[in-house]
Amino acid sequence: MHMADALVSPAVGGTLWAASAALTFYSARAVRRQAREALIPLMGVMGAFVFAAQMINVAIPGTGSSGHLGGGLMLAILLGPQAAFLVMASILAVQALFFADGGLLALGCNIFNLGFFGAFVAYPLVYRPVAGDGASAKRCSLAALLASIVALQLGALGVVIETVASGITELRFSTFALLMQPIHLAVGVIEGLATAAVIAFVRRARPEVLLVVPWPVSRGSNRLLFGGLLAATLLVGGVLSWFASSHPDGLEWSIFKLTGGEELALPDDSLHQQLASLQERSAVLPDYSFQSAEAEAEADEAQAWPAVSAGTTVSGMVGGALTLCLACAIGFILRWQGSSRRAAG
Amino acid sequence: MRAESRWLELGQMDDAARMDSAVHRLDPRAKILVTLAFLVVVMSFSRYTLSALTPLLFYPLVLIALSRVPLLPLARKLVWAAPFALLVGAFNPLFDREPMLHLGGWTISGGWISFANIGIRFILTVSAALVLIATTGMHRLCAGMERLAVPRVLVAQMLFLYRYLFVVSGEGSRMVRAAQLRAGASALSLRVYGTLVGMLLLRSLDRAERVHQAMLARGFEGSLRRLDAHSFGWREAAFVLGWLSFFAVARVWNLATLLGSAAMRAGG
Amino acid sequence: MNASALEVSDLRFAYPDGTLALREVSFRVSPGEAVGIVGANGAGKSTLLLHLNGCLAPQRGSIHIAGEQLDSASLKSVRRRVGLVFQDPDDQLFMPSVEEDVAFGPLQAGLPMEEVERRVVGALQEVGLLHCRTRPPYRLSAGEKRAAALASVLALSPSVLVMDEPSTHLDPRARRRLIELLGALAQTRLIATHDLELVVEVCSRVLVLSEGRIVADGPTRSVLNDEPLMLAHGLERPHILQHHHPHRD
Ligand SMILES: Nc1ncnc2c1ncn2[C@@H]1O[C@H](COP(=O)(O)OP(=O)(O)OP(=O)(O)O)[C@@H](O)[C@H]1O
Ligand SMILES: [Mg+2]
Repeated sequence: MHMADALVSPAVGGTLWAASAALTFYSARAVRRQAREALIPLMGVMGAFVFAAQMINVAIPGTGSSGHLGGGLMLAILLGPQAAFLVMASILAVQALFFADGGLLALGCNIFNLGFFGAFVAYPLVYRPVAGDGASAKRCSLAALLASIVALQLGALGVVIETVASGITELRFSTFALLMQPIHLAVGVIEGLATAAVIAFVRRARPEVLLVVPWPVSRGSNRLLFGGLLAATLLVGGVLSWFASSHPDGLEWSIFKLTGGEELALPDDSLHQQLASLQERSAVLPDYSFQSAEAEAEADEAQAWPAVSAGTTVSGMVGGALTLCLACAIGFILRWQGSSRRAAG
Repeated sequence: MRAESRWLELGQMDDAARMDSAVHRLDPRAKILVTLAFLVVVMSFSRYTLSALTPLLFYPLVLIALSRVPLLPLARKLVWAAPFALLVGAFNPLFDREPMLHLGGWTISGGWISFANIGIRFILTVSAALVLIATTGMHRLCAGMERLAVPRVLVAQMLFLYRYLFVVSGEGSRMVRAAQLRAGASALSLRVYGTLVGMLLLRSLDRAERVHQAMLARGFEGSLRRLDAHSFGWREAAFVLGWLSFFAVARVWNLATLLGSAAMRAGG
Repeated sequence: MNASALEVSDLRFAYPDGTLALREVSFRVSPGEAVGIVGANGAGKSTLLLHLNGCLAPQRGSIHIAGEQLDSASLKSVRRRVGLVFQDPDDQLFMPSVEEDVAFGPLQAGLPMEEVERRVVGALQEVGLLHCRTRPPYRLSAGEKRAAALASVLALSPSVLVMDEPSTHLDPRARRRLIELLGALAQTRLIATHDLELVVEVCSRVLVLSEGRIVADGPTRSVLNDEPLMLAHGLERPHILQHHHPHRD
């Protein structure tokens, strides 16, 4: 499930962009350190493979449903976690750009949800321990299944937390989570079965392919990996607790309880304060009042909405419509001019 | 089938990117920076903002007009991408029933306004991303990213990813067609699926090996050097400064309301 | 003392899985000569060609390019002098556009921009593909891909051109153009192919490879006309020779 641009607030989008960028730089460095120049075309072609495989559907027996490979886990098995993370990031970027899946603001969230959890959590902490040395076909299949489920559950939880923390929608945490997690359990099982089927084939046909990634990865990068994990956990935990503490009534987002200039109740913690001040500066949750005077609307034109009065409302609507017409008109004129100039020249 | 039409779409975007216009010719860095600024500005508005967001539509529309990329494929993609955001946003009117606006006899709740806000945001951010790729194309975008200090490994393998998307997916769809003709079903059974996708995987591995050999054969030594005719000149500077100041103005003043009240004063 | 453009002596190669692909392969090629390499599927043609610019390292025996032995020290300079055109042009055209692909080699060699540009235009002109300059490789027809792959190698101005099955997937007209192009090139050419008529038209000499060994090496027409030899190694006499009058050769 892709997180969508329209649902992300600057604080959440920015935080996850930062996290994904950090992971990208770390992974790029790790890949460069491996000094396997053959890895670059390999990563690219494997990315293309995952893209293509995502379009091939598998029927799940007895259910009438179908699904496909997610790819993150498969890539981690073939390329190692760092290279897999980079490939997933590229796949998501291409999807965001060409198919508008998710979008650019939410790209950080999507890279984190679909790249990080698969490559840096499900693969090293679930797949590798369960699969062991890869000698047993059953264990490999089980590992693929479990790791896919874990990756999908964490990814879906990521979507829920990011959406609720962004506060653009009215969905409550519990409602949204109850909606998303079971669906993604099913998706995870399908993905797991698909991945296990592919791995089973490759194990039989060319087992050496599954053994190219050394394990454990060198100690230095392991430390970095776990450092990254720790940082990410703190980050997520921080966002969560800030969120929970600012909304004491459980994790329910109810923006109207925050009206009337009430200050957010912040714990005495610099990270929290920074996040909150970032949030305030970027004005995603500007204070507003319903019956505010015209004077206030005048004083603060930038927030004329929702500090509304009948006058600004109507002029806003008229102006919005006019703006739309104007934008379209200018578009047409520019285009018409361009083509006539071309025809003349 | 969705998948097939997706490839057509990919091709359309690629065609659009290979057109020629002043916008296409701009250094990709300028377009990347302006797009990012645009997204941040859109994101920074409150979730009850409607009219103040409308002037921002100028950005994608003017770029589409100047670059003459076809509008229809972009619009179609916008529609394709809509469901999830709108689905999630559709809960707002349900949960947020607090009245917010009184227009004549009508009362509009905050939920409907924030729902509309999600819709406008969606149109703005998605069209900005589509315009970026439609006027820049993957390979120029990669060149721009590289010059903006995005890690080279990422950029280089992204180029390969894009290049071999077409090759590998063609291979994949031929294999699927062959399997479907024999199986008669549209989705494959788990066994057939494992074999087919596994084969595709092994072929892709071989492909990567041959590509690497072909690179070595032409003197590849680890870093990808590319033709890049772009430079950041006064056009780019004007493009970036112009749009950034427009975004700043649109962020600070509600241009739509100003225009509306001016129009009403003139009218009444 | 060494007038040959290319000399292979006693080459042997086994793949990691144990397949012995080449055993005791020796031959030499004079500058400007066009040599065809024919043989059944799996005879070892591709394996041999991959050795000629160091994509595979000989396990025994040696390769000399214009007198210089191919080893890790000479690898760079040899790769600049031996251009290898791969069997599948999709493997070779890995850059996003034709011009970038043709420019890849010269750019890697560190040539200045003007020189790179000159080479790109020159090579594309030579194969008649200048109009496809900015197109992405996946938008080319099979024949155009083939030509682009050839241009990407010609741009390095190699003295030896090595080609693996250049005429597969080509329609008759594209194949004809390719044959004319190959015939007109001045470089030393080694062409591995199943297209015996192409060999007849382009190459003056032919090597027959079978199970990793050279079983015949001689003038094209006399080797390809040797029906028992051809049949014994999974080949057949090309039609073009069957209809010719003997006195013409
Ligand atoms: N990567 C590889 N691993 C193991 N064996 C291989 C590999 N590539 C080729 N072989 C084997 O080496 C032998 C020679 O193969 P090669 O590809 O050189 O033949 P060829 O003459 O080019 O055949 P074709 O006409 O089909 O292209 C064959 O027996 C083949 O199965
Ligand atoms: Mg071959």
